[in-house]
Amino acid sequence: MASLSLDQPAGVSTETLERIMAGASPAFDAGTRRSALAHYEALPFPTASYGRYWKHDLHKIDLSEVVTTASPVASFPAIDLFAADARAAQIAFVDGIATIELSDALRSRGVIVTDLATAKRDHAALFSAAVGGAVKTATDKYAALALAFQNVGAFVHVPAGVSVDQPIVIRYAAVANDAFPYTLISAGEGARVTVIEQLITGAAARFVCGIGEVIAASRAQVDYAIVQAANLASKVIAARGATIGIDATVRIGLAELGAALTVSTLQALEAGTGGNAEVAGLFFATGEQHVDLATQVDHAVGSTTSTTVIKSAASDRGQARYLGNIRIRKSAHGSDSSLRDDVLLLSETAHVDSIPALEIAANDVKAFHGATVGAIDADTLFYLMSRGVPRVEAERLIALGFFEPEIAKFPTEVLRTALRSSLEAKVTAR
Amino acid sequence: MSDLGLRISDLRASVAGKQILNGIDLVVEPGKVHALMGPNGSGKSTLAFAMTGHPNYEILGGSVRLDGEELLGLAPDKRAKAGLFLSFQYPAAIPGVSVANFIRTARQSVNPTDLPPAKFRKMIFEKLDVLDMDPAFLSRSVNDGFSGGEKKRLEMLQLAILNPKYAVLDETDSGLDVDALESVGKSVNAMRETDEGKNTGFLIITHYPRILQHIKADVVHIMMDGRIVKTGGPELANVIEREGYDKIREEVAGGVA
Repeated sequence: MASLSLDQPAGVSTETLERIMAGASPAFDAGTRRSALAHYEALPFPTASYGRYWKHDLHKIDLSEVVTTASPVASFPAIDLFAADARAAQIAFVDGIATIELSDALRSRGVIVTDLATAKRDHAALFSAAVGGAVKTATDKYAALALAFQNVGAFVHVPAGVSVDQPIVIRYAAVANDAFPYTLISAGEGARVTVIEQLITGAAARFVCGIGEVIAASRAQVDYAIVQAANLASKVIAARGATIGIDATVRIGLAELGAALTVSTLQALEAGTGGNAEVAGLFFATGEQHVDLATQVDHAVGSTTSTTVIKSAASDRGQARYLGNIRIRKSAHGSDSSLRDDVLLLSETAHVDSIPALEIAANDVKAFHGATVGAIDADTLFYLMSRGVPRVEAERLIALGFFEPEIAKFPTEVLRTALRSSLEAKVTAR
Repeated sequence: MSDLGLRISDLRASVAGKQILNGIDLVVEPGKVHALMGPNGSGKSTLAFAMTGHPNYEILGGSVRLDGEELLGLAPDKRAKAGLFLSFQYPAAIPGVSVANFIRTARQSVNPTDLPPAKFRKMIFEKLDVLDMDPAFLSRSVNDGFSGGEKKRLEMLQLAILNPKYAVLDETDSGLDVDALESVGKSVNAMRETDEGKNTGFLIITHYPRILQHIKADVVHIMMDGRIVKTGGPELANVIEREGYDKIREEVAGGVA
């Protein structure tokens, strides 16, 4: 076998997997990862199952060019979103190199914020109990790929009864290497935590394929917000999931802002009576961006509640598709769910398909669905212009106003401010 | 002849292919209050929208000059910068945009050489007070879930803050209770007593004369079928109050016959 030199693309082969696992993955884990790669190879591309709305041909992503063995860059100028005194902990990756900051106070209360290798070595029992509990890697081709390669990743654990007041920040920077980030968040009974995850890249186009899982035990409250801000040449595929215990609440905020192609899926499983899922998603396809978002809330047991609100805009030649699914199983009596998505089209060449689906097998449930798709309202625009506001500025105000109720659902004012300025930059640049 | 004034000459306009304005001639002088009255469907609101440049209204001919500057053909924001203001009968909601942000943006747009923030803030609070408006109003989304009265108060707040050369008030009195109407009157009169506001000319479009009990008109015009059919002093409003529009309609028909 010819040996691969470092810095060469090595693709997603078994050989590369063995190389990146060598010495870094315990035996139990290596087995999981090998079988995940086998799943990836065996599973079909998701084209057929997404039907005629599928716009992106995932066959065309050439994974033989994937780089996972390049030397990490020596330094990468990432600006902290949260100042040191505004965050509880931070784990920041530049390629595979982690910088971890966790106070002794939190450590002494049993809070874990660490990289995957450390988690598997030092917290094997906790890690194993949670891993794979929310994302179906056996049936999702790209989630299987991410599980196999996981070359970066963070484990956050908050023990029962512990509240972490400030956010825990996870930042993945894919610079010299493509990234397969794996985030695992486990919250014990009655634990409370806010996790904010950022994905950024350097100037080079990157392939990013990741997983994010939240396992919330009874009465836990977890806020998990993800801001994807990859450069506009990158491709990002992500599968996220949450499993929500009895009387627990999980709020997930998805802001898919960057990348040429984003394929993002979210599955929230209501597994315990009294569970509550709150899903908020926003994206804004500008230029030539393609965004594909699918969310599902699965009410597996009764007396569970969920709200899903998605706001999206598209301008220029931006293309997007949103699949929203609410599933209320026969056993889920007394569940209450809502799904709402609003689309703002800012140019005639932009396109967004919005496809809601409600599968309701139980009788005594509440399920609301509402959707709007439209351009900027002519009367609203005229009203602003009649006050002296030029058209471009008026459109900017209306578009930002459109997103504002969604931004309000994301945790912390720091993050909300950052989202506002990212969206403002996208409106202004169009 | 002075160029001053909001001078509408032979204005003809259509909406959705139907001609509504059949040649309007009207001059509002600086500092004067003109009332434009007429039955429903006479074209009053069309005049307001045609003057301010709503894209649904097609101008067929004529001119609208503001202190000598031709407004027709200008984008709506340019007309506002020239000094024209329209108080909407049904102002649009702008979800997610706060009243404070909206008013600041509007003021910056029409008057870029501006007050320092602290003075601007003080000014807003004074005007809110005149209108009996709670400052909490400022953080709400513009007209989003507002009652009819709240919407009209917000229009009056903008009028007071933008301080235009000419203001068109389109049915500001409609749907208002007595208290709200009084607030509107108070706000306009307060504005007219200031140095900056005393030269603002008003065109008050109304179906009913009751707003004119709060804001005194210098001139009253009656509009029917897209034309000004009668012009007179404030007493004309009282005639309408007593006798309605039918009498005038007969009179006009008789005159033409």
